[in-house]
Parts: sequence; structure tokens; C-alpha cells
Amino acid sequence: MSTVFRLKEQPNVPLEAEVLCPDTIADLSNAEIRQLTVFHGKRQVPLEDFFDVEGDGSVDMELHGDLKKVRWVARAMTKGSVTVHGDIGMHLGAYMKNGRIDVHGDASDWIGAEMKNGLIHVHGNAGGQVGAAYRGDMQGMKNGTIIIDGSAGLEVGMRMRRGTIILGGPARDFCGLEMKGGTIVLREGAEIRTGAWMRRGTIISLKPLQMMPTFADSNEFNPTFLNVYAKHLQQYNIDLPFAADAGSYQRFAGDLSVPGKGEILVWNPA
Amino acid sequence: MGGKVTCTLGEVKQRADFIVYWGGNPAECHPRHFTKYTIMQKSRFLPRGRKDRTMVLVDIRETKSAKAADTFLQVKPGKDFELITILRAMIKDQRVTDAQIEDTGMTREVLDKLVDQMKNCKFGCMFFGMGLSMTRGKHMNSAALLTLAAELNAFTKFVAMPMRGHGNVTGADVIMRWQTGYPFGITFNRGYPRYNPGEFSTVDVLVRGDCDAAFIIGADPGATMPQPAIDHLKRIPTICLDPHITHTSKLARVHITTAPQGIAAPGTAYRMDELPLPLKPALKSPYPTDEEVVRRINEELQKKPFWMPEGAPLTMTAHG
Amino acid sequence: MIRITGGKVYDPANGIDGEVKDICIDDNGRIVESIDGGRTIDATGMIVFPGGVDVHTHVAGGAINFARAMTPEDHRRTQAFIRTKTRRSGLGGMAPTTFATGYLYAGMGFTTVNEAAVPVLSARHTHEELADIPIVDKASLTLMANNEIMLDQMQAGEYERAKNVVAWYIWAAKSYGVKAVNPGGVAAWKWGEDAKQLTSPIEGYSNLTPGKIVTQLAQICDDLKLPHPMHLHCNNLGAPGNVSTTIDTLKHLEGHRAHIAHSQYHAYGGDDWDSICSQTGQLAEYFNTHPHITTDAGAVLFGDTVTITADGPWQHLLYKLTGRKWGNLDVENETGCGIVPYTYRPSNLVNAVQWASGLELLLLIKNPWQVFLSTDHPNGGCFWRYPEIIKLLMCADFRKECLEQLPDKIKGKILLPEIDREYTLYEIATSMSAGPAKALGLTKKGSLGVGCDADVVIYEEDPTDIARTFAHPRYVLKAGEVVIEEGDIREAPDGQEFLVKPHMAADTDEFMQPRFEDCYTMQFENYPVELERIERKDLQELPAE
Repeated sequence: MSTVFRLKEQPNVPLEAEVLCPDTIADLSNAEIRQLTVFHGKRQVPLEDFFDVEGDGSVDMELHGDLKKVRWVARAMTKGSVTVHGDIGMHLGAYMKNGRIDVHGDASDWIGAEMKNGLIHVHGNAGGQVGAAYRGDMQGMKNGTIIIDGSAGLEVGMRMRRGTIILGGPARDFCGLEMKGGTIVLREGAEIRTGAWMRRGTIISLKPLQMMPTFADSNEFNPTFLNVYAKHLQQYNIDLPFAADAGSYQRFAGDLSVPGKGEILVWNPA
Repeated sequence: MGGKVTCTLGEVKQRADFIVYWGGNPAECHPRHFTKYTIMQKSRFLPRGRKDRTMVLVDIRETKSAKAADTFLQVKPGKDFELITILRAMIKDQRVTDAQIEDTGMTREVLDKLVDQMKNCKFGCMFFGMGLSMTRGKHMNSAALLTLAAELNAFTKFVAMPMRGHGNVTGADVIMRWQTGYPFGITFNRGYPRYNPGEFSTVDVLVRGDCDAAFIIGADPGATMPQPAIDHLKRIPTICLDPHITHTSKLARVHITTAPQGIAAPGTAYRMDELPLPLKPALKSPYPTDEEVVRRINEELQKKPFWMPEGAPLTMTAHG
Repeated sequence: MIRITGGKVYDPANGIDGEVKDICIDDNGRIVESIDGGRTIDATGMIVFPGGVDVHTHVAGGAINFARAMTPEDHRRTQAFIRTKTRRSGLGGMAPTTFATGYLYAGMGFTTVNEAAVPVLSARHTHEELADIPIVDKASLTLMANNEIMLDQMQAGEYERAKNVVAWYIWAAKSYGVKAVNPGGVAAWKWGEDAKQLTSPIEGYSNLTPGKIVTQLAQICDDLKLPHPMHLHCNNLGAPGNVSTTIDTLKHLEGHRAHIAHSQYHAYGGDDWDSICSQTGQLAEYFNTHPHITTDAGAVLFGDTVTITADGPWQHLLYKLTGRKWGNLDVENETGCGIVPYTYRPSNLVNAVQWASGLELLLLIKNPWQVFLSTDHPNGGCFWRYPEIIKLLMCADFRKECLEQLPDKIKGKILLPEIDREYTLYEIATSMSAGPAKALGLTKKGSLGVGCDADVVIYEEDPTDIARTFAHPRYVLKAGEVVIEEGDIREAPDGQEFLVKPHMAADTDEFMQPRFEDCYTMQFENYPVELERIERKDLQELPAE
């Protein structure tokens, strides 16, 4: 049985609720969960001031309501699942270690920031800094998967080290900024400065990209790893084209300014 | 990784034989910059003053400052980040194509010369203005220029510094750093400082409507911020301390007139290179200083129950 | 009034070694013979020390503040100080915020700190930060060895003028003494060069050598009767084989008083990073035969830190070695500073040599009145880790355990495995309190004698873990006020600042003004820090010769 949380009162300033995490509530009774502390601005209040809670604690959570101002949900979660019905605020699944998060709605900035593993699937749009490193940190997400069906904001995958980010819609500027590894798949392309200052890692775009001037155009090719990778992505219902008769990938290497050994693969349909 | 490699303005005055202004218009915005600190000064190391110095201006349009420059480089709007990144590649002898260079509004010839000047000067300095730091790319544009300057130290002495705006912006930044560890974009809602520009920076907080009161000193966001931010300031109780009537004071619920800093109120101002300068008031004002107002508000707040509850602190340290 | 009774007292300034005796404190925060009434603290079974004195640290000013801005990632993971009714908020970590700095120092029983590097130009800023460091008393040293106005006078052979220039700067900065960093080297760095040899002329000068600067500046500090002698960061910091530079420097100091800062960084043999080894034996021997010179260890502890120093060239090298962030700030006419985050690792041979060298110096220099506890905070490690060093000094077995983490290649490169010495509590009290206080010339610090400031620490001995004992004192008293009790900060009073006013020729202002205006970018009259800006001060006027 999932533990169900329904937002009953709209916070008028951000509500920091890192206690909304399977690790925190799993072993608590319904009454104990209601008394967990959340921060409404600077005020410390019990969770029940803002949420109706149904059921005792479990590793599976459901959240309902317009949660745009609710931040830090599922912070550092290690197990179980969180399903959000509605929009969700910043830092969803930041530092996440394992488990699964589904958002049936839009998500805000910093989702999956510095995550170590696990899966985040946003069915709507996301904000900026998806899977990114917090300011000053050397590394963003270290592993795991983030799937966003819609669009995303600035600095997607900034300084990511490993793992996968898949965007169904377009990304804004600086997608893959200072990337150090891992893969970003862009089904609808991105605005400008994609892959800027990247050291390593791969960005695959199914739409033409405006390239940074510091990427070298190498010959077109269909790398063999792509068909393996395409099969791997099928589990998430993502179709990555790779058949030679359907087209080919143009490969760009960079960012030369670093100088880095990253690659951007842009699909050219036949 | 980057960093920040900088110096005080006196070093520029004494030593800089190569000066770049990027996205700034000192001739009109910082009128004394040329004469006091940079190109016009003679020094023991640069005895012929202007003749011993080279100045390059990079901007999207030819401003008045261009007249003072030895070279004016007109970068295409929105291409600053690309151009700086090309320079980072070129100083490392990485191959960039002519077409890629021309896309920024430059030619290979021009950039070859610029790179040559940058590598072979004795002491280079880049100043960057809001034309760089407040246009598309924002903090990454500044980061790009700071990184370029740091990397040029593999060849010669090179520094970079922002041309900060008016008011004591630098001072606020310096003091926040020593008291909280962070320069701006800080929240204290958990009883200790946390930092996240974009989340806690004033303009973002206002645009998202994340605060239910505003207290404004030494700034006029009503004149400079985007409309959604101004609308929120109108919605919530806004308190403004200012010697003058401003856009913000007009929309504020409370405007406390204070003595003008530096003219009638003493203190310390931090110059754009973070040098502390004493403010020695020449006049007396009938109004209280900002400091006095804040102190008296604080004294009243002390009488209220303390807002942090007793008990185990709930901190959010990283990776927890 | 407070009477501390029943504790074993370690007060090396008065030769008291573990004797059980009462310490009485009057209402003025001074130690007195006896009192009537007042509070009694029962310290039976506990040990009583004079408050710790840090002879060399970097806690306030432009450089550490630059480091704070560069390390938000460290602030996020570190200890947070939550605001209470009596305590301001702050963050600990590699570069703690000002309020946290005071709480952390007091929290481990340190009550006086010496900020060892202040450019005069930003001294106003440093004093504003020092005022925001609660509880502890503070002194600060002015950076002089690369000041171009002074160097010009030395080059011209104008010793008296140079001396007046130094006096003028000390008073302008409202500081307590003189710090010399890499004499001539920072000036050369402004052209991207360094000064490594004491006898080679400095870039930009015809006959002025680092050696001449060292000798003359030491003489100036003596002649000005500064309570603390020249505080010297030698040339060639951190480089393999630099012990020869250090010994050479010490020879240039014959006949003068001097304090050599963080000597661990100056005690290496070898020719390069592969052959680097400890040469602390040689250096310790010099100290053992020259009792007028003091030093602090500048010990290194394994872990993360941020290095900040006025030694710009070294920092650029470190940036190239680590490929991490780099901050650099050159200050007109006076000095410069560099900032690089760094992690010392036991598996890294160079770091292992550094770790061993710091401890070796503390153990091989026989007289604890000559060598003091320091990490050159934050360069070798953060000051709040001092208790770990105390444990390393007091437990040879613990040292042996730690030595096992080091790589095998370390064999033959360090002396530590052969050293059995263990510090006594008396020696620890000397090295962390009485000794540094004496070297700083702070006569009311580091002593529990009658008339001294009642800065007292009471530790509850935990025989199973000495580091714990020293990290968590049971009580800390500052000027007679209980500031730490049962591990909690009870009060956070403001400390005072020590200043000196050296004697200088009457025409020094007129001499300075044109030279000043030639190279500075601020008004001459705006340059000196106004005395009234320093709220709580202990000002000492120094006599003429």
C-alpha cells in the first residue's frame, strides 16, 4: 500500500519538505508522519498543516496537488517509489541513490541534481539544471537515468559524470555544459551552446543543432555502440534511429577550448 | 576548472601594457576609468603612458569608448561566449575554422593578432561590463572571460575583473562572504546560510513570488527589475530605505528616508577591485543613517519571541 | 569572580607542571592571588591550561574571503552554526565564516589568534572582519617584504628611511608587527617571475637581493622594538630541495630575532617531486643551536583544504599541478595572494613527506618554547583539527598506526619512524599557549600568573582519546567569562585587538605622500585605517631607540 499525501493548503512561500522521502516515512505510523517537520519559509510546521496523509508509512509514496512550491521531495532517497500527480517544485530527487520517481505534471529546476543512481521520469516539462552539479561542485549526476517527456531549461546535465538524460522536448542553452561523462539524448534538439566546455561524454541529437564553434566536424558515421544503446533505451520506450538505411550520424568532437574529448552526434535522416 | 585571477586597480595603473574592455563602455559609464587607472596613466614601468599601452574594446556596437581604443572589435550580438571560447581554443593552438570565426563577426587575421597580443604582452588585464555579464549566457559569459584570463597565465601575466555597477554592490558582496561564506543568493530560513543563485537571488524570488515581504536598502529594483518582480513587490508589504524618492519607494508600503551614504552618513565603500575606501561625510543630515534604522528595527525584533524553535537543528548538509 | 579549584594546572610560563592549585579570577577578568566569594568551578580530576594562542593563521581579510567565495561546495557539506538568541549563524569548514571562526577557536580552547598576513591597502577590510570574529583576542601582521616603496629605499641604501617607511605602514594598517613573505619573490611575480636564490638580484632591481631584504627587515623590526620579531615566510616555499634556501635565510638572520613561519614547507631535500624527502633534521639542528629564533610547524593533515598565501608564484604552480580552481589577487605596490583548493592524500608521496615533516619538526626541535603548533590554517589543514596534531605528538603508537597508511616508497625519505619522543601535557601547553604568547610578546597571554588575562581552559582528560580531550574542553574562560561550558557556547563576547604604534621620524608623512601618490590609486589621507574604527583595542606605543 502506498502512503498518499494530498496537498490541502497551498503554501504562499516555498515549503521545504525533504521529509517527503521513502527513507524517512517507511517505518513511521500515520500519526508520526503527520508530525514530521517541514519548513514553510522560515516557520517550522508539522506536515499535516499542509498535507492530508492516508495510510501508514511505506516505501511507496503518492503525492497529489499543485506542488510547485514544494521543494526537496525525495531528497537522497535510496529505495521505493514516489509518484507525483501534479506539478512539483525544485530539487526533486536531488542526491537520489536509488528507487524511482514519476511525475505526472511538470517539474522545476535541479531535479536529480548530483544523483548517484535511480530513475526519474517527468511526463511533462522540467526546469533547468537537470542532473546538474550544485554551484561549485566538480561533478553532477554520477549515475542513473532521467527521462523528461517534454522540454527542459538551462544547463541540463551540467558537469554530469555518468548516467543518462533523455529529453523528449527541446532543451534551452548550455545543455551538457562542462559535461564529464554520460549521455544526453535530445529528441527535439536544443537552443544554443550545447556541449559547451564538455570534457567527455556523448550528446545525441535527433534534430539539427547550432554547434559551438569549438567543435570539430568529423566524418559521418554510425558508431556500433549506438545500436546497443538504442536497445538499452527501448526499455524506456525511446526509439533511437540507428539503421544505416534510415540515415546516419554526423559526429562533432570537442570542446576544443578545454580541450575536451566529448562528442556530439547529430542524426541526419536519409 | 576556472577560477578568478585578478588584482587591484593600482596594479593595472602601474603595469598593464595590454588592456581589454569587453561589453562595457567606460567612456560613458565609468568616465574616470581611463584617466585614473588604465590607459592614460604614466608609471615607472610604463613611462610613456598611453604610448606604452594597447587597448582593445570588444562590444556589439561602436560606443564612445571606441575612440579611445587602439582596436575596436565588433562582436555579433549574442556571440560573446562563442568568441571567448574560440580564444580559449586558439591560445592552445586548437584548430578553429574560418567559418566558425566569421560567425562571431571576427576574421582569422584579427583573432590571430589578438591572441598574439594577449600572449606576448607583459601584463594583460580584461575588464568586463554588463554588456557581457547581463546578456544571454550571463554568469557563463563572465566565467568564460575569467577562465580565459586564468589560462593566459600559462604564457604571461593576465588578470580579469568585472566593472561593477553603481552603489556599494561590491561591499555587500564582500560582507556577505565573510559573514555567510557566500556572496549573494542566500537564504537564512533554516537559521544558517544556504546558497543557490537562481533559487534565492532577489530577482528570481520576486518573479516566482516566493517571498511575502521585502526590505530594500540601497537599491531601486522598481526601476531595474522585470515587470513580474515589480508586480510582486506591489503585492507584498515592501519597506524601502532610501534618501530619495525612487520607483521602489513609490510602490513601497513604507518608505523611510535615510541620510545619503558617503555624503551625510559614514561607512566603508568597496571599490570594484574590493579595496575598502572610507566614506567621510561632509554634511549633516536630519535623517537617520541606514545603519541606525536597521539597528532600531533589530532592537524591536529582539522583543518578540525568537523565531527559531529550541531543539535539534534541522540542517541540510550536502549528500545527506 | 571565579575560583577554579582542584584541577591539575599546566602553566609553563610560571614553571607549574601538573600541580593541583586554585586559579582565582577577579571581576576585571584578571588572574589574582585570591578572591572572596564568587562562583567556584570544581575541576577535580581535570587539567587546567592557559588559553591557546595561534601564532600563525589566516582568518580574516581579502585572501580568506576570496577563498570563501571560491568554495561553496565545502560550505554545503560542513558544520553549520545555527542562529540562536546569543549566537550568530555561520559555517565551519575549510574557510570558516567570521562568527564561526570565533566559535570554533573558542570551542577548542584557543583565546588569542594572530592573523599573519594583512596587505595595508585592505587592512580596513581585515579589521572589519576581525571585529566580526567573536570571543578571541586578535593581532595582525602587515605584509612588508615586497613593498616597493620600502624596497626602493633599501636598494638606495637608505636604511633609516626604510625603517620609517615600515613604521609608517604598521601604524597605517593598525597592526601588531611585520610579516615578510617570499622577500622579493612576490614583487617579481607581478612580472610572472619568482625569486628563489637569496643572493640573486630581484627582477626589476639592480642590486637588491632577497637576502638583503631579510637582514634589513629583521634589523628594522628589532630597531622599532616591535614586541613580535619579523615573522618570515621564507623564499622557495614548498619546493624540493628548498632546505638550503631556508638555512641560508637563517644565516642571514644571525644576530637578530625572528619567527620563521610554517617551517614544514621549507624543510625539503631532493631535486624534484620524485626525489623529494624530508630534511627536517638539518633544520631542527639549526633551531636547536640558535635559541633566539622561533618557528611554527605549519603541519599538514590529510584531507581537504584550501591553500591561500601571499606567495602567488607557488599558487600558480599548484594550480597547474592540480588543475582545480585558482584564484589570484595582486595588490598594488604591496603584495599578492593566490588561492587553490587542495586535498592532501596519504597515498601521495609528496603529501606524505609533508605530513611527516611537520611532525618531525615539532618532535626534533627540543625546546617547545621554540616550535609552536600550527597548520598555517587553512594551508596545511584547518585550525579546528589541531587536536589531531596534539594526539600525534603525544602518542608514538598512534603515529606508528598512521605511518602504515603511507606508501612504501616513503622509506628512507622521512625521519618520523625513528622518533620515539612523546610530548607531555606540559610541553603541549608550552607549544600551543605559553610559547606562542611569548614569541608574540603578549605578556598577559599564555600564562596563569597573577595579573594575566584570565583566559583559561579546563579539559576533562579522556585517556582513550587525547584528540577528543583537546577538541572538547569542559570549560573555556575568556577574560574571566565562561564562554564554553559542557560543550555549549554560553557567551560570545567581543575580543580585543592588539596594536602597536612604532616610533617614526616626524617628516615621514611628507616623505611618503609623493611616493604613495605615484603608485597608489586611492587618496593618501584615506589610506591609513582610522584608530577609532577599531572598537576594542590594546594599543602599545613603542619608544624611540
